[in-house]
Amino acid sequence: MLLRFLLRRALAAIPVVVGVTLITFLLMHSAAGSYVPGLSLNPNLTPKDVEQLRSELGLDQPIYVQYLDWIGVAWIMQKVGLAGVLVGAHGITPGLLQGSFGHSMVDGTAVGGQIFERLPNTILLTLTAILLGVLLSIPLGVMGALSRGSKLDHFFSFLSIAGVAIPQFWLGLMLILIFSVKFHDWGLPFLPSSGTTTPFTGGDLLDRLAHLVLPAVVLSFFYLAIWSRYTRSSMLEVLSQDYVRTARAKGMSERRVTYLHGLRNAVIPLVTLVGLELPGLVSGALVVEAVFSWPGIGLLAFQRALAYDYTMVLGIVTFAAVLVVLGNLVSDLLYAAVDPRIRLQ
Amino acid sequence: MIGQGAAGEFELPQASEGRARRPAQSFWSASWEELRENRIGMAAGVFILVLAVIAISAPLLAQLVTHYQPTRQDLDSQFQPPDARHLLGADETGRDTLTRLIYGAQISLGVGFLAVALQLVVGGGVGLLAGYYGRWVDELLMRFVDMVLAIPAIFLFILMSILFRPNALTLAVIIASVGWGVVARLVRGEVLSVKNRDFVLATRSIGAGDARLILRHLLPNVLPVMVVAASLGVGAVILVEAALDFLGLGIHPPTPSWGNMLSHAETYYHHSPYLVIFPGVMIFLTVLAANIFGNAVRDAFDPRLR
Repeated sequence: MLLRFLLRRALAAIPVVVGVTLITFLLMHSAAGSYVPGLSLNPNLTPKDVEQLRSELGLDQPIYVQYLDWIGVAWIMQKVGLAGVLVGAHGITPGLLQGSFGHSMVDGTAVGGQIFERLPNTILLTLTAILLGVLLSIPLGVMGALSRGSKLDHFFSFLSIAGVAIPQFWLGLMLILIFSVKFHDWGLPFLPSSGTTTPFTGGDLLDRLAHLVLPAVVLSFFYLAIWSRYTRSSMLEVLSQDYVRTARAKGMSERRVTYLHGLRNAVIPLVTLVGLELPGLVSGALVVEAVFSWPGIGLLAFQRALAYDYTMVLGIVTFAAVLVVLGNLVSDLLYAAVDPRIRLQ
Repeated sequence: MIGQGAAGEFELPQASEGRARRPAQSFWSASWEELRENRIGMAAGVFILVLAVIAISAPLLAQLVTHYQPTRQDLDSQFQPPDARHLLGADETGRDTLTRLIYGAQISLGVGFLAVALQLVVGGGVGLLAGYYGRWVDELLMRFVDMVLAIPAIFLFILMSILFRPNALTLAVIIASVGWGVVARLVRGEVLSVKNRDFVLATRSIGAGDARLILRHLLPNVLPVMVVAASLGVGAVILVEAALDFLGLGIHPPTPSWGNMLSHAETYYHHSPYLVIFPGVMIFLTVLAANIFGNAVRDAFDPRLR
């Protein structure tokens, strides 16, 4: 039963992934067309050179051939001797199906290599933010629930409503203004505002941590706002359950009731909520990366999009989208493993 | 419940005997009354309304109150701190910040409301069709929604911004082209829960066609969910729009928007931090008010919370 469910879900994900590659390819193609980055900047190129460059990059081929080439179907067709079907095809290279993301239009580097070079930076940033969010939101939520209706509770409530309304990039700008610029002006120890390390002199653990503080705090603020609210209401719900009343009735101390019965059960739904953020691990930090010049995958996609480096952008977007589909699949499977009712639907 | 107004005709006359009959009240007027009693929510709504009036009358305000045009440069008042001439100061080319903020409200609110309206129309339509017809129509439409929502939204925004180099109108279309998927899922779910009720069967059995069933009977039933989605969506759209402007992918200068006024923040830090503060405060307050009002609308209109 479970196995069949797994299989069905996995199969249903395939057309979604194919559709995603098609949508991103068509969008990128209509945005960039057969534009070659930097071409117009070189006065020494004759129209003939331009044609040759286009041809080398495969931009003179029909769009469906370019798509099939990119996803790797053309390569397979060539291997099994069906290349004749692809009118106008030439220079077919391994594609997505063969695990190749192709090469950058701007500097010729391997797209896959660039992605995996930047990925650790982004994951470090997002995981730190998620960890900060969890570690702070649970105590805040519990404190709010235990002092329900108090001034403290109202203050936390306002904080979480404000946390969702504050523009992430502006929060970053304000923190830079205070902790980098003003602290520096006032002669206080200040935090760095861009990059992962100080150029030339930095690079040790303390320097890396100092660079991580501001972007991670900005990113975690949003999580904190949502999750603390959620912990609060979940805690309130659990504390009104019969088993909590039973625990109290049998003389258990309030402390043990709160933490053993209350908190443990209240945090379970939060786990799934945190799990929902995992698919966004790669793309969720783009704006923060842009504010803090954090050399992550989002910043790469953003900069390369502005430079019309469309093989690079296509690679990153597809990579991120596949992660989303996989993430959803995994969370579906986890739900099914935890809750048997879901499997029957 | 709503959509069952005809039930009253079958009521037995003696049912009301002996006690005063409560005047019949529609779902909408009951919800509206509940919303009106939420004072914080209404205050937030009034804030948005006032801001909208300010945005609409921006040319008038620039003429009569601030006496500056939003794009008029004046190198004499470059980086002017707030004073009697420039109430909120002036930027690097001496443009009046207050005037630009007033004009910026046009962009934020205009794109916010327009994008949400588009999301509702497209998402609502797709959700109604998918939910009502089911089978392959449902499968086709909802798999397409899955695809759109699988691509991280920010990447779609970036790609489309490069494609269109947007103005306020296209920017709203770009933002709505992602958001409609969420509305479609929501509306479809609601249709599925409504379409097997007896009143649908009854309507069909007296000969109502598909169009009539969808528009006159299903739509009114999913409308509350759409109202809730809309009121919670405005704040989110304003945030996205501001972020795109900030990144240089949305409204381009010289048209002032709260987001693009922050694009060159790093050059303001040392001598004029107020240029970093004011536009952000405007975005924050507007989104805060929109969200608080949205929550109040949800509490009043969401049938699932009744």
